Amino acid sequence: MTSAMWRLCGWSLVMLLVVEAATGAALAAFYSPSATGAWASVAYVQDQMPMGWLVRGLHFHAGSAIMIVAGVHLVQIAVAGTYKAPRSLVWWIGLLLMLLVLVFAISGYVLRWDQAGYWANRVELGIASGTPVLGGTIRKIAIGGNEYGNLTLTRFYALHVIVLPVLTVAGVIGHIVLARRHTPATWSVALRQAFVMAVVFAILLGYVASQHGTDLAVPADPSAAFDARPLWYFRWLFELRHLAGSAELFAALAAPALVGGFLVALPLVDRGTTQQQRMPWIAGVVGLFTLIGVLTIASFGADSGDADLAKRQAQSEKDASRVRALAVKYGVPATGPADIKLQIPMYRARSLYEQRCKGCHEADSKDRKGPIIGPGHGTREWFVGFLKAPSGDAYWGHTKLAKTDDAMKPVELGDADLGDLAELLYSQSGASDVVESKRARGKTIFDKACTDCHAIDEGVAGSSAPGLGGVGSRDWYTSFIGNPKSPIHMGPDRSQMPRFDKDLSLVDRDALAGYLVWLRTASQHDVDLLEPL
Amino acid sequence: MADDPDRRGFLKVATCAIGGGVGLVVAVPVVKLVLGPTGEQTVTTPTDPIDIGAADRLRVGAPWQKVDVVAPVVKDAWSTAHDVVLGGAWVRRQSESQLQALSAVCPHLGCAIGWNGQNFLCPCHDSKFTADGDPIAGSGPAKRGLDPLPIEIKDGRLRVTWVRYKLDTASREKA
Repeated sequence: MTSAMWRLCGWSLVMLLVVEAATGAALAAFYSPSATGAWASVAYVQDQMPMGWLVRGLHFHAGSAIMIVAGVHLVQIAVAGTYKAPRSLVWWIGLLLMLLVLVFAISGYVLRWDQAGYWANRVELGIASGTPVLGGTIRKIAIGGNEYGNLTLTRFYALHVIVLPVLTVAGVIGHIVLARRHTPATWSVALRQAFVMAVVFAILLGYVASQHGTDLAVPADPSAAFDARPLWYFRWLFELRHLAGSAELFAALAAPALVGGFLVALPLVDRGTTQQQRMPWIAGVVGLFTLIGVLTIASFGADSGDADLAKRQAQSEKDASRVRALAVKYGVPATGPADIKLQIPMYRARSLYEQRCKGCHEADSKDRKGPIIGPGHGTREWFVGFLKAPSGDAYWGHTKLAKTDDAMKPVELGDADLGDLAELLYSQSGASDVVESKRARGKTIFDKACTDCHAIDEGVAGSSAPGLGGVGSRDWYTSFIGNPKSPIHMGPDRSQMPRFDKDLSLVDRDALAGYLVWLRTASQHDVDLLEPL
Repeated sequence: MADDPDRRGFLKVATCAIGGGVGLVVAVPVVKLVLGPTGEQTVTTPTDPIDIGAADRLRVGAPWQKVDVVAPVVKDAWSTAHDVVLGGAWVRRQSESQLQALSAVCPHLGCAIGWNGQNFLCPCHDSKFTADGDPIAGSGPAKRGLDPLPIEIKDGRLRVTWVRYKLDTASREKA
């Protein structure tokens, strides 16, 4: 009876390994093992390939299913005592296969190169490097040198898709052939195994569908904090080290060694022949797995009671879906997913604007210190409004200059003349829709009314006010942002705006200037339509 | 003649020697290659100070600020990458001339450290550190405080030198 029971798991395990091999081969056809390509290729399969999420989900969760079914298989055999000679070699090969599955899990998790896989691996190898004497070398061999990078991925990839599968296939063949020698197969057992296999697969498929495959966090980032957690079958160790306090490294290394050693030694030390004589060993195995189960549950319990953690996890899920949506929309740059946001239109300029400009220039800013910058900034209408009330609220009203005698006075001209003057100023931006006749009239007015203070020739400063040659053009903005206090612009005493030529590179200032030029012809609707940063 | 034990023994040894020899000739370069990167600096890390922004952006008395330490150029095996994030640093300015930078690499197992408003916090194993970077006893497994990084101002720019320290030791040694 018992021997038929444990053999029910056999087909399920073979089926799960075949699922891993088939889905793994499909995933390998997409995977790019490099620091810049890994996350991108996984995200591509997950979010853009037909049924990619399903294949990836099956591949990931079948690993969990193997751990569960193999665990049941192992406990059943231990309880039945069928690991004894002449079957002990079958038992040892089985244990070796379980070890291989764990190495599969570790090597597979890092390949996705997201925050979850990256940090889990860093911690795991941090623990491994605590091994006496050999620790540092183990880590270096594993990650391929001194630091995480391209070689880390190529190594784990080679391990995961070539070395481990070859060893596993050899182990499985040995395990089955030897087991068959001791217990020949019968059709009635085969049918029951097939039935169990179908049930296991149905549960796996249902679970994968309910999870939409498996997660993919934001790309690996060595600077960003992430609540890294090991895969669930390592959670008991995670909890154990937590409980062990200062002895935690010992716990993390010694506990698996002790558990492994105990299981390997079982066929040798268990000399009982009756159920009663074997009771201590049966209790030992059952107790061990119960303890592992309790620790696992305790670990998940501790996390689920942590409200701060839940908040951070919700945020990182939000971040993940955002960056994955960007990857779908724009693709991942060849330089890697760290640059994914650079593809958002005017990303650099807009984020600089948010950080450096908005506080003093945004309409709804509480500490606005300068003119409002927004859609329509620098249009004809904007210039007319300015000429009518230079110290108006939307213009220089919030500046210190507005409260001094240096402030520009409203230009008292009729609407037609103001319009012509505005056309002249507007023309300086290089806009293509300048009305030449109006601009020419504006120039005449300018020469009469404005040249006491201003100048409008290229590169010429006004006698007591800004030179206006090229005002509103991209080059002019770049120059103004670089040093508003330059004599050609506001002069040393008339502007509170800091100079940015030290702080921001020419490329950054030019990018900001490009954004300001874009704003001139943009409407609020256009601004609202921009991809959020 | 075919049953001659001497002859059989010789054949056996010779066959194994040939097979083993070929195997060894393949194994040596394979193992050498795979272990090749072990002693190498496969990923270069600049040891010079790295620009992290303008000095006046770090105000005196302001709370800890997280900055990415970004290497202008990193050679990673066969590829050269620009603007690579090496890791994070927490920086603050206690007075005009007194600056402080702490590596955001947890001294326990290297996870990136966060700040919860009062303490530094490692998200992996719950080690907590005071606002000065000292370990809070009993909070977690870290054996030492957060590692300081050299920080300086040159020509109005903040510059941090990136250093990785050995993990999980009580004393602070460069890795």
